[in-house]
Amino acid sequence: MAPKAIASPIPDAWYPTLSVLMLAIGLVVTASFFIYEATSSRKTRSLAKELVTGAVASVFLGFGSLFLLLASGVYV
Amino acid sequence: MKIGVRLDVLVLTIALLSVPVLSDLILSKVDRRIDLTSQIARITSTLKVENAGNDLVSEVLLTIPDNQAKNLAYLTATSNEGKGKVKASAVSLPVEVVHPKGMPPALTFYSVSLPKGLGKGETFTLDVLAVFTHALQPFPEEITQANIQLVVFSDTAHFLSPYTVKVQSLIVKLPEARIESYTKIENTKIHGSEIKYGPYENLPPFSYSPIGVHFEANQPFVVAQELVREIEISHWGNVQVTEHYNLVHGGARSKGEFSRLDYQSRRYVGGASAVRTLVAKLPPRAHSVYYRDEIGNISTSNLWSDSKKTELEIEPRYPMFGGWRTAFTIGYGLPLQDFLFQAEGKRYLDFSFGCPMNEVVIDTLIVKASCLGIISLQYIVHVVLPEGSTDISVSVPFPVKQWQETKFSHLDVIGRPVIALEKTNAVPEHDQHFQVYYKFSNLSMLREPLMLISGFFLLFVAGIIYMHADLAISKSSPSYLAKLQWDEVLAVIQQFQNNINRCLTIHDKLEASLRDLSRTGDVQACKAARKAFDGLLKDLSKDLKPLLAFLQSSPQASQILPKVEELVVKEKDLQEKLMAKHSIVVDGYEKKSGGREIENRIALQQQKITALRQEVDDLLEFIEEI
Repeated sequence: MAPKAIASPIPDAWYPTLSVLMLAIGLVVTASFFIYEATSSRKTRSLAKELVTGAVASVFLGFGSLFLLLASGVYV
Repeated sequence: MKIGVRLDVLVLTIALLSVPVLSDLILSKVDRRIDLTSQIARITSTLKVENAGNDLVSEVLLTIPDNQAKNLAYLTATSNEGKGKVKASAVSLPVEVVHPKGMPPALTFYSVSLPKGLGKGETFTLDVLAVFTHALQPFPEEITQANIQLVVFSDTAHFLSPYTVKVQSLIVKLPEARIESYTKIENTKIHGSEIKYGPYENLPPFSYSPIGVHFEANQPFVVAQELVREIEISHWGNVQVTEHYNLVHGGARSKGEFSRLDYQSRRYVGGASAVRTLVAKLPPRAHSVYYRDEIGNISTSNLWSDSKKTELEIEPRYPMFGGWRTAFTIGYGLPLQDFLFQAEGKRYLDFSFGCPMNEVVIDTLIVKASCLGIISLQYIVHVVLPEGSTDISVSVPFPVKQWQETKFSHLDVIGRPVIALEKTNAVPEHDQHFQVYYKFSNLSMLREPLMLISGFFLLFVAGIIYMHADLAISKSSPSYLAKLQWDEVLAVIQQFQNNINRCLTIHDKLEASLRDLSRTGDVQACKAARKAFDGLLKDLSKDLKPLLAFLQSSPQASQILPKVEELVVKEKDLQEKLMAKHSIVVDGYEKKSGGREIENRIALQQQKITALRQEVDDLLEFIEEI
């Protein structure tokens, strides 16, 4: 079997765009999370909704910040 | 020092004369060429081996005196079967150190294994390349800025061998500069910058005829005392190379004081052997190149790149004279797909072992650009593999010391495996490709993002816990109880708001059904919708009752209770009016009254509805602000 070159799963040129996009989505979801925390009272709050919003926000923020690191030259 | 070497040689020669010949091999022709144009002595020998005995011979012994052998950096033997210019398919032959018995002590023997045994009368031609560092000794050892650098090289004019040599010759190639002196023996000719010794015929084993050459060598003697190179692989698309250089000018030491004025204004006179610039040949598509030292960026560098290579020309902070040192770091990133490959289920990095700075150029204004090698006394390569790599193995074409380390870098949990390779006395000939094989699962690439994700998630969980935690110290204090009650009131008001809002949307839907009616004239559909909405509104008002009762009973809600009650009343009013309007319109359609007539009949209602709706909205807004 001939050797096959290994490249990054995502082309380098996409990193800045992906970073901006995912961080934007992540920050919007984060904002909605904190708005929900601040506006709902103790009785009406639902733990599942909080956790789901937090998880979605952290996935987007996590990948967004990873791509930000890669785009700025910190190859992790 | 020169005399010392000569004495050694004399002793050696005497010792050698008494040694018997052990093998039936003879060397029918030996051509040697010593290249002294750089600080590294490269000796290329072409040996024609002939078997004069009856036994099959499968190895040839090479001999190097111990005082030279300790500076031997590189030794290869290749078969040279092609004739003349056609040197196709040169096969490298295995070479190893051996200690044959009965040989003189001051010699090191290397055994070259031939590809096939040599029968009686057969011949075999092989090329031997030996590279020596520190073979050129500066003489005088100390020079001033204005002096030129002179060096001495000593070797033997006769090929030192345990075999009889029939015909041999030696050519010493010197840089194109002044030759101070050279040993003249029989058959010595000088032609330009080449000195030719020989041919000499029928010399017995271990013939030795010391020669010395004293000549001008203004090329800088750049020696890396320690060179640490770190190659870090990231599967996200990058190979990061960082090289820490610790250079010293290994030529004649500088004495007296350094005059910057003389150096700058009369550069043709002084400082010819000083290191002015260094050129690093980086692989193509290198990016993010930097050149710095401990106190920061060094701005005196230039970078050129084309499709075949990237050239980085760097200038140390000061010109380096003999004995002077400098330390700096260069770093660059390379695209992953150029160096990382996959074969047979394993990944491997294919990278060149040598440092990119194997050519040093003196300022082209002074002398012709000349290529010189850097000698690395201690050369360490660290290959940093990504976290989660297993089954690591290395393949290097020459012996190196190797060990494993762990390095913690960005977003690491267990650390990255590091393969360290150490080579002492490295010369440009060691610039060969080496491979590091390892196994790596693509899922391991998700470690770093998972770290980040879990970090962010912990932040959110902390927020949730804070919001859910009851941080009050006294659970029975009046203010705490009041707060609890107030929370309840707020929750009820929120439910109340939701309820009212749903009522309002139903009102809107009712209006929409009226519009549909005027468009389609379908009275039955409108009636059905009305029925459904009636039921919904009834349910909602039923739900509203306990909420209202709670607010009435709660002392905390006394402030906003009037508003809430007003809102309920107004909403009911609005609902009634809307129903009345709806009935009128539907009636009108059933009796087939004209559109104008219906409009006249509901005009008054419509006015009231609009006013009420406005009031309800205002009240809702007021309550929302609490």
